[in-house]
Amino acid sequence: MSLINKTKEFKIISNIIPPKSNIIDIGCNDGSLIEYLKSNKNVNARGMEIDQSKVRTCLAKGISVVEGDADTDLFDYPDNLFDYSILTYTLQATKNPKIVLEQLVRIAQKAIVSFPNFGHWSIATSLFFNREMPVNSKLDYSWYETPNLHFCTINDFINLCDGLNIKIEKKADLRKLKFEEFKGKSLYDSYFADSGLFLISKK
Amino acid sequence: MDENKIIELSSRENPLLLDCGKSLGPIKIAYTTYGNLNKEKTNAVLICHALTGDQFVASQHPITKKEGWWSKVVGPNKPIDTNKFYVICPNIIGGCMGSTGPKEIDPLTQKEYGLNFPVITISDMVKAQKLLIDHLSIEKLFCVTGGSMGGMLVLEWLSKFPEYVHSAIPIATSVNHSAQNIALNELARQSIMADPNWKSGNYYETDSQPTKGLSVARMAAHISYLSKESLHQKFGRNLQDKSELDYSFNADFQIESYLRHQGITFVDRFDANSYLYITRAMDYFDITKNSNGSLIEAFKKTKSKVLCISFTSDWLYPTSENKKIVKTLNALGIDVSFLEIETENGHDSFLLNEPEFFDALDGFISSTWSEI
Repeated sequence: MSLINKTKEFKIISNIIPPKSNIIDIGCNDGSLIEYLKSNKNVNARGMEIDQSKVRTCLAKGISVVEGDADTDLFDYPDNLFDYSILTYTLQATKNPKIVLEQLVRIAQKAIVSFPNFGHWSIATSLFFNREMPVNSKLDYSWYETPNLHFCTINDFINLCDGLNIKIEKKADLRKLKFEEFKGKSLYDSYFADSGLFLISKK
Repeated sequence: MDENKIIELSSRENPLLLDCGKSLGPIKIAYTTYGNLNKEKTNAVLICHALTGDQFVASQHPITKKEGWWSKVVGPNKPIDTNKFYVICPNIIGGCMGSTGPKEIDPLTQKEYGLNFPVITISDMVKAQKLLIDHLSIEKLFCVTGGSMGGMLVLEWLSKFPEYVHSAIPIATSVNHSAQNIALNELARQSIMADPNWKSGNYYETDSQPTKGLSVARMAAHISYLSKESLHQKFGRNLQDKSELDYSFNADFQIESYLRHQGITFVDRFDANSYLYITRAMDYFDITKNSNGSLIEAFKKTKSKVLCISFTSDWLYPTSENKKIVKTLNALGIDVSFLEIETENGHDSFLLNEPEFFDALDGFISSTWSEI
């Protein structure tokens, strides 16, 4: 699963990260975002990944990576160790998204978070007309085998951040491929953005 | 290529100062090397052996005739590739395979040291290794690695001589010994000292060695290297060469026979006094000893790239202990990687055939080498 498509997602994220930033990519998969940011922004990057075969893939690429779980292992990092923490398409698979979000903005000055928007019209349509959980290219698991525990809509995410003392600084415009100032809930996004991509920080 | 060398370092006039306050010199270090040191001297890999290991890391053991203890990891086209790297493996001081230790001759008295050998620490062992590295004119080791007690030496290198270490791989180890670790070592020591042949360590010139005590020590330790699951799978409650119980104290069960064999073969290659000294050094080990208990302080000068590895079924140096190292290095912003290999082989896993472990070593070492 990835946001829009990898190249575009990487580009949007890379555009907002200043060169030589210290970053951690949580759920870094095979390390491809880290590689992209290293070559484009010369970042000092580290990864965390729960799947050990992917951890070994990262090692072979020379990426520093810790086998770990976003739910339990973010506590091991001190406050503000990083400039940016990144969590792409993983929030919905965590046991406790609330705590994970709090940890993301604790260990880094800013956090970049993306997730599938469960409010997207195609999902609403699937539920409304077919009475079936949606399975598509972005949500490619059947309900009985999905690792995704906590689906949310873009509006749900905005509400949660409000309640957590987390400031949403920017949201990505997935058509223009860049971050822009966050000005509150948008009717358009809540229906038509298949994913949410936000830049957040502590209030 | 891989011949065993013995070198004399330090001297009576310029001895090695030990943590206990005494000094030791001259010191002999027995070591093996594999591969060739490149012109720039950037391809040296130092391998630190465990409690009962020795310098024969990748070559046939002169006594047991078995292949080297890490032959699966060290050799041509292995994760530590001797076609690329110059591998150095010294026998620790306090050991019994040629380096200065209790069974060697004290130049002062011309007799075996026995219990006159000073109590040494992990730090002393590393200081002695540093003399060897200086002698070889190597200013930066590409990698320092080792498992178990070897991992403690790796941590000591990272803490004490950080500028000498480009990368490090501590495996299945700990920043200090837990009460459980110390208890197991004490059991082993008491078993040796309870053997009447031990004679307060003065057994070298007698015909009878404290083999019974040492072999029981080895049996106890061996249990701690395996997991309950692996013992169950390997032996279960199977009987040894019989179908009925003996109603005696013979080795009825396969596990008994196996442990007895482990004990008996061990005494042929190991010195009982060395076992006392080395286990003591492990118990005394605490990387925070000189930093008021602070792990952050202990590693604050470290700049190396580090890979920590633990094994799921290792209860002697469990993942939680290894993670303390990872957490500290993370907090210091050091490039640290970590993975936990899933296996039922217990603490001994780092010596066994664990493909995922080898893959991780290979990936880390190759990618780190390509950055040089």
